[in-house]
Amino acid sequence: MEPFKHPGFYRVGRWFDLRRRKAGMWAYALNRITGIGLVVYLYLHLVVLSLLLGGPGSWNAFVSLARSPLVLVLDVILFAGALIHGLNGVRVALTSFSRGVRVQKGFFSVVMVVTVVTLAFVALKVFGG
Amino acid sequence: MLDVTLEIFRYKPGEEPHYDTFAVQVAETAYVIDALDEAWALYDHSLTFRHACHHSSCGSCALRINGIEKLACITRMTDVWDGVHPIRLDPLRNFPIVSDLVVDVSGFFQRMSASHMQITRDAEPILPVSVDKPALGVQAEAISLPENLTRFNRFENCIECGICMSACPTMATDEKFFGPAGLAAIYRACQQTDDPTETAHLLALADGEHGVWRCHSAFECIEACPQAVDPAGKIMALRQELIARRFKKSGR
Amino acid sequence: MSLPHIIVIGAGSTGSATAHDLALRGLRVTVIERGEVASGTTGRNHCLLHSGARYCVTDQESAKECIAENMTLRKIMPDLLELNDGLFVALTEADLAFKEPFLAGCAACQIAAREIPIKQALKIEPLLNPGALAAVQIPDGVFEPFRFCLAFLATARLNGAVVRRYTEVTDLLCSGKSVTGVKVRDYRTGKTETLGADLVVNAAGPWAEVVAAMAGVGVPVLPTAGVMVTLDYRLNNMVLNRLNKPSDGDIVVPQRATSTIGTTSWTVEDPDLIEIPPEHVARMMTQGQQLLPVISKVPTRAKMAVARPLIHKGDGDGRVLSRTFECFDHRSDGVDGFVTISGGKTTSSRAMAEHVSDLVCQKLGSSAPCRTRDVPLASYRLFFQ
Repeated sequence: MEPFKHPGFYRVGRWFDLRRRKAGMWAYALNRITGIGLVVYLYLHLVVLSLLLGGPGSWNAFVSLARSPLVLVLDVILFAGALIHGLNGVRVALTSFSRGVRVQKGFFSVVMVVTVVTLAFVALKVFGG
Repeated sequence: MLDVTLEIFRYKPGEEPHYDTFAVQVAETAYVIDALDEAWALYDHSLTFRHACHHSSCGSCALRINGIEKLACITRMTDVWDGVHPIRLDPLRNFPIVSDLVVDVSGFFQRMSASHMQITRDAEPILPVSVDKPALGVQAEAISLPENLTRFNRFENCIECGICMSACPTMATDEKFFGPAGLAAIYRACQQTDDPTETAHLLALADGEHGVWRCHSAFECIEACPQAVDPAGKIMALRQELIARRFKKSGR
Repeated sequence: MSLPHIIVIGAGSTGSATAHDLALRGLRVTVIERGEVASGTTGRNHCLLHSGARYCVTDQESAKECIAENMTLRKIMPDLLELNDGLFVALTEADLAFKEPFLAGCAACQIAAREIPIKQALKIEPLLNPGALAAVQIPDGVFEPFRFCLAFLATARLNGAVVRRYTEVTDLLCSGKSVTGVKVRDYRTGKTETLGADLVVNAAGPWAEVVAAMAGVGVPVLPTAGVMVTLDYRLNNMVLNRLNKPSDGDIVVPQRATSTIGTTSWTVEDPDLIEIPPEHVARMMTQGQQLLPVISKVPTRAKMAVARPLIHKGDGDGRVLSRTFECFDHRSDGVDGFVTISGGKTTSSRAMAEHVSDLVCQKLGSSAPCRTRDVPLASYRLFFQ
């Protein structure tokens, strides 16, 4: 009589299953998503840098693409991901030293507020001037 | 009386998992275990679920009610029923499912055994003692021992229900993870012993590949624990101890 | 030559202890339980490890059995008990008048009882009714019913016993005038099987009558329900009893971080489905408040009701019936190979097991002695491994 086990890919879904879960779980899921996003960006960044090997022509073409509004929006999203991942990293590191475990939910709120405020400022800079 | 529909996860070896619905009628003051008991008694003796003490002592009736881990025996129907939709009952996650709501807890109990935590311990020096609530208008009072006793003792808070193991997202993808309850038990076992060899053994267990460093701080174990064991808090305390010991070693 | 095979029906405290006893005597044992271990009467328990003082005036046979077993369990499962003693507290003049017969009863049953000054009692139990008039300390204790059974079963399994949960006995197999096995349905697979046995032990508690009927015999078991209310706080260190004859809501048993008030008593038809009467809950809250007035401020954590298997000897309400156990060899009803053990309390389950195992061995012509008094039990956690 084999017991039933969900397959691995199904279980990965539990990282992101936020239904009725609390703030700590949201932080966990956000940290994973932003982490994966930042790794993808890192490789993308290396691909872009490799354009330099193609000489000034290809680089200039890229720079003009980078000024398009769509890419600017992606830039802001990237910045948001970096902020969330970095600030939450501080939260995780502190709690890992047994500091502030009891207030970790408040801590996460602070992370999100700082992210939103900073992001608003950055968005103004990027799109406003 | 409440007329409630229960939507219960069903699985028997060789069959596809599915949900069955049961219409039950229970008192307004009933707990989820009473409704489940009624579904079993009135409709289907092949509905398997774990239960024993009905007062949050044995830890066997842990399951997921509308997705969230609870003890069926202390969860009031009125707290989980919106008055409209069926109440969905699922087995715990991250455990192999044996039959319907029954999961295989052997791996979990292996961890609890390995933790060496004694299930009884010295009692608090005050009354009243609560699992997680501040005293409601009741002053905490110091107690003294009767002449013939050297100490009061009591059972540990942890009832080994496995709720934290189900709530933990890391557990989902690392089957060997010692888990919130297991690591919290190691922490308690460290407190219970004076023997440095035993402490070193336990800390090595916590320091292992599937030990405290596998926790990625979702803190869902703290939210889900019905007994205020504070597993993540204890995992972090173990980390602190491990780091402190490493510094001491390299300082010498 | 293969060993005799015994099937034990029920994995409550009686069935678990019986499986342990028989396995320790070297017999082949299979336990059949339709649900989880202790999912019947044993689970929904006060958790009181009786000192016997509760029955020392009204039922001395039970009281003597309790104190003996209390001391034995302390030896064989020391890590699974809260051992903080208990107090019998007098609140009224009538209670006070009960003190002399109570102390005499304790002495007669060899229960170590000593009166302590009320001032001291209030220091030990700060939330006790300050109007208390007298307090007597006795060696009550507290167990955890699920782990209590698991410890017996884990040890039995180490000695070769097989425990089948989620498997219900649907019929008894008979050959001539003898029970030769059981027909079971395994609810995990839905399959029906037959299991042969040299002897079947019916340890189904309040369901004993249902099982016995499968062999066409009767047992005088009266399913008598009781309600218990568990509070959200531990309000007492020691077990608190009202110093009087047993009655509704006269005991508050602390365990872990809770206290449980018990209990009421009424006869039920069907032990499978017991509704919790709200008036019983209310009565227990008011009765409990007499011992611990603070109960009025404390929220409820759980409410439970379950049937106890009382052996009925003639008429009478559940509480007057004896709390001792009874072992029935159904040969006297014309059916061999089938015995029933019922009644009793969780505290006395080891003694019940000894009694029925002696009978089993006698019927099988085995002279293996009982060793459960001295053999410490294995860790309950091993049951699941």
